[in-house]
Amino acid sequence: MSEENNNTTPAAGASTIRRASSRAPRKPKKSQLPFALLVFAVMIVIGVLLSFRSSDLAMFWVFGGCFGFILQKSRFCFTASLRDPCITGSTSITRAVLIAFAISTIGFAAIKYNAFANGLPIPGQSYVQPISLATVVGGIMFGVGMVIAGGCASGTLMRVGEGFGMQMLSLLFFVVGSLWGAHDMGWWTVNFVANGPRVFLPDVFGWFGAVVIQLLIIALLYVAADKFERKKMGITDED
Amino acid sequence: MAEYTVDCLGEACPVPLMKVQKKMETMAVGDVLVAQIDHSCAMKNIPEWARNQGHNVEIEEVDDGEWEIVIEKTK
Amino acid sequence: MNEFWTKITKNRYYKMVFKNPFTYVTGAVLLAIFQIAIFAYSGNPWGVSGTFANWGAWLYELVGGNVDKWYYFSSSGAQATLESGFLSHTGSMLDIGIIFGALLAALLASQWKFKKIKNLKQVVAAVLGGLLMGYGARLAGGCNIGALFSGIASLSLSGWVFALFLFVGAFFGSKLLAKFFM
Repeated sequence: MSEENNNTTPAAGASTIRRASSRAPRKPKKSQLPFALLVFAVMIVIGVLLSFRSSDLAMFWVFGGCFGFILQKSRFCFTASLRDPCITGSTSITRAVLIAFAISTIGFAAIKYNAFANGLPIPGQSYVQPISLATVVGGIMFGVGMVIAGGCASGTLMRVGEGFGMQMLSLLFFVVGSLWGAHDMGWWTVNFVANGPRVFLPDVFGWFGAVVIQLLIIALLYVAADKFERKKMGITDED
Repeated sequence: MAEYTVDCLGEACPVPLMKVQKKMETMAVGDVLVAQIDHSCAMKNIPEWARNQGHNVEIEEVDDGEWEIVIEKTK
Repeated sequence: MNEFWTKITKNRYYKMVFKNPFTYVTGAVLLAIFQIAIFAYSGNPWGVSGTFANWGAWLYELVGGNVDKWYYFSSSGAQATLESGFLSHTGSMLDIGIIFGALLAALLASQWKFKKIKNLKQVVAAVLGGLLMGYGARLAGGCNIGALFSGIASLSLSGWVFALFLFVGAFFGSKLLAKFFM
C-alpha cells in the first residue's frame, strides 16, 4: 500500500556517499529522556487535578495528549497533504490523509446510524456545516494562511510543542484572527451562512449509499494522487 | 566533485525542501549537497523527495533535533 | 548519568515506538481511531480552532474588551462557556494537551530544540498566516480538523467543499511562498 521510505537511521559506518569535507567530530548528544519523564509526570499530575474538577476535562486532556503525540511521531501535516502536490508533486501525506478519512467515515457512520436506528438524535450534526460563500472564502483564506505560516491548526499546536518560535507567533495571531472572524460573524451569518444548505450525505443517498459513495470517491482520489505523483516524479511502472 | 551546504536551520516547511530542490538543479552529477535542518518534518520529506528522484541519501542526527541530510546527485 | 539514559534509548523497542518516526499511514490509522474514539466518547468529533475564538475572547476581556454583544458569542451555550472560564473548557484542555503531547514525543526521541525566529520574513509569514487561518476558520466553521477531517468523517458535503477550496488556497499560498518567503 505504501512505499514510504522510513529508514531514517542509516546503519552506522555504511556510508556510501563520499564527502569531501571531513566530518567534524560530534559532541556527544545529551539524552532528553529525563526531561521527557518530567513532562510526563507533569502531564499526569495535571490530568489527576483536572479529574477532580470533572472527568470530562481529564478525558479531553488525555485525548489532546494522544493526538499531539501521534501528530508529532508521524509528522502528520494536513498542510503538507494539500501543499506538497503543488510544490513537489509528492502525495504520500495526501494519501495518508485519505486513509484517515476512509477509516473515520466508517466509524462515524456506524455511531451515527446506531443513534438514528434507535430513534435518538444523531450526534455531532453541528459539524455538518452550511455551504455558502463563507465556506469558499474561509477555505481559500485558511489554505493560503496555513501554507505561509507553515502549519494548520493541529500542525501549529504540534510545532509549538516541538519548540518552533515561528509557530508560537502564528498561534498568537491565529487566536487574534479567530477573534476578528468571530467579530464579523454576525454579518457573514446574516448575508451568507444562514442561507447555506446543510447537506448530510445520508439524507441524499441513504445511509448505505452515502458511505459507499464517499469511500469510492476517497478511493478514486487515492488512485489519482498516486498516479499524479508517479507522473510528476517521472516514476514509470517497473514492477 | 564538489560539496555544497545549504543552511535551513530555523526554516519551516516547505522552505527547506524548496531550497534543496533549487540548489540541486544547479549541481553537477556526483556533487554532494549537505542540508542542515532542524525541522522534524523536513527530516522526512527531503529524503523522501530525493529518493524518489533516485539520488543517494543519508541522514545524520548531528545534535538533539538537528540533522544533516547528505544527498549525492546521481542524475 | 547520561549514559544510563542513552542506554535505555538504544533499546530496540524503545527505538521502534519513541525514537523513530511513524510512517504517515501509521499516523493516519491512529488518528482515525482516536477521532472515532473521541466522537464515541463525547458525541462530538475532534475540533481545534473553535477553541481559539474562546481564547481570543478571554484575552480580549483581559484587556477590558467585551464580546457579549457579538453575534458569535450570543448563544446561551457560548456565553456559559465563556463564563465558566479556561480551566473548565474541555476544548482548551484538548488543545493544550496537543502541545504537551507533541512536546513529550519530541523529548522522548531526544529531538527537542527551541527554534528561534530567524528573520523578518518569518515574522511576516507567521503573523499574516495566523490571521488568515483564524479568520478563515471562523468563516468556514472550522479548520483542517473541525471542518475538513471531522466534516468529511461526518458525511457532510461541506467537508468536501471546504477541502476543494482549501486546496485552491494552498495552491496560491505555495506560489506566494515561493515568491516572497523563501
